[in-house]
Amino acid sequence: MRNPRFLILCLLNCFVFIVRADDFKFPLKSNSVKFAAIGDMGTGEAPQLEVAERMNSSRQAFPFDFVIMLGDNIYGGSSPKDFEKKFEKPYKRLLDAGVKFYASLGNHDNPNERFYKPFNMNESNYYAFKKGNVRFFALDTNYMDAKQLVWLQKELQDAAGSNDWKICFFHHPLYSSGRTHGSSLELRALIEPLFIKYGVDVVFSGHDHVYERVKPENGIYYFTEGSSGQLRNGDLAKTGMTEDGFDTDRTFMLVEIAGDEMYFETMSRSGAVVDSGMIQRRPS
Amino acid sequence: MRAKTNIVPVMTTFLLTTALFTVWPTSSYGQSTTEATQDAMSAKRNAKNDSGFKEFSDHVQAYFSLRKSAESSLPALKPTALPEMITAHQQALARKIREARANAERGDIFSEAAREAFRHVVREELQGPHGHRARRTIQQGEPLKSVRLHVNEPYPDGVPFTTVPPALLLKFPKLPEQVAYRIVVRDLVLLDSEANLVLDRIPGIFPETN
Repeated sequence: MRNPRFLILCLLNCFVFIVRADDFKFPLKSNSVKFAAIGDMGTGEAPQLEVAERMNSSRQAFPFDFVIMLGDNIYGGSSPKDFEKKFEKPYKRLLDAGVKFYASLGNHDNPNERFYKPFNMNESNYYAFKKGNVRFFALDTNYMDAKQLVWLQKELQDAAGSNDWKICFFHHPLYSSGRTHGSSLELRALIEPLFIKYGVDVVFSGHDHVYERVKPENGIYYFTEGSSGQLRNGDLAKTGMTEDGFDTDRTFMLVEIAGDEMYFETMSRSGAVVDSGMIQRRPS
Repeated sequence: MRAKTNIVPVMTTFLLTTALFTVWPTSSYGQSTTEATQDAMSAKRNAKNDSGFKEFSDHVQAYFSLRKSAESSLPALKPTALPEMITAHQQALARKIREARANAERGDIFSEAAREAFRHVVREELQGPHGHRARRTIQQGEPLKSVRLHVNEPYPDGVPFTTVPPALLLKFPKLPEQVAYRIVVRDLVLLDSEANLVLDRIPGIFPETN
């Protein structure tokens, strides 16, 4: 450390980071939309249970009303026992507290999960719902056929005129620095133009068993949250598009949307905050 | 000597001009013939694909009518908080369909003409300008290595689904909501997703993945 300017810069960077982490607080407004996001969780193993427990304890400080599921909800089978072990038991306390779950399908999910009432899929592999000033679009990226594309275009078109936030969630990430899978380029070529055209604000995906926040692409914020049960330790090859990421423990996300601002916090199962921040919505 | 040396360029020019005029129409004619031949072949290919896909869609429609009547004797599946109800419905529907198609064999729905049309579309897409994207989709969709499926048998519980490239889904004939295309190892499989039942398959249509 012969160069004092370099040392000062390093210290400043640490300081900025610490201030940012310490400073972060959810506004916890009474009429805001509060939810959690989990992906690739349905293993029924201890880490999933620990994440679920951490979600439950977080609810005391951050009372989220619902959870979006980014696919691979039930791994390894779809018997009643699988549903019990990999969903009902881990999230029992949240379910008992009236927290609703909204699922999207991953490549490990039986499409008949759409009939499972606690997943709120309305009997369809893809669907939309609205909470406060936020519209959610759950897609089935295992099977992006013409029918689903037409549906998506119509839903986004209908929403485009409104002042609502537009959030899409689905399994396969359009942008990901995960070594195992990475970005789904074909899917990106197909649906990203619709996202841009109709003003989608934020996208949540899973599939890569890591957490990643990507630098905004064409004004859209992309999150990969695929480590709420599974984990590929060290699988995140941070690239130029990575804003932040974490790949050494299981995580889940807490999100609050208040007016034109979206606050988010990504927490590990031990309770450490691994990422947080606020996104200001683009003017429509 | 001078006259002799002068005549060489003249003769050369004459010969080149003659050659050009001889070759030009031939070459032009050859080009349009090639194009015309390619167009004709392409039209023939498209017509063949159309007719193969038409045959396939007719078979799917026939299956769907049969399925409808098999399903009519079962109570409709509504959203339920009891997964056992979903499993029971899936199994009961599969049983009914299996009984109604007791003699079903590979090739019943994917007829020879249909198989040829599907093979052509898959080959064309995977080798086309955006083929790398479709191949990557399959690769990222966790391709299966060693699952063996049989017509009229269930898709094995817990085995993941390989993502079907959207580019192919947009080119394949449309299916009723309850029926889906699946990629299993190197096969294209037609699956009744609600009954979780294999309806037919085309073996070895996809290239090997790493």
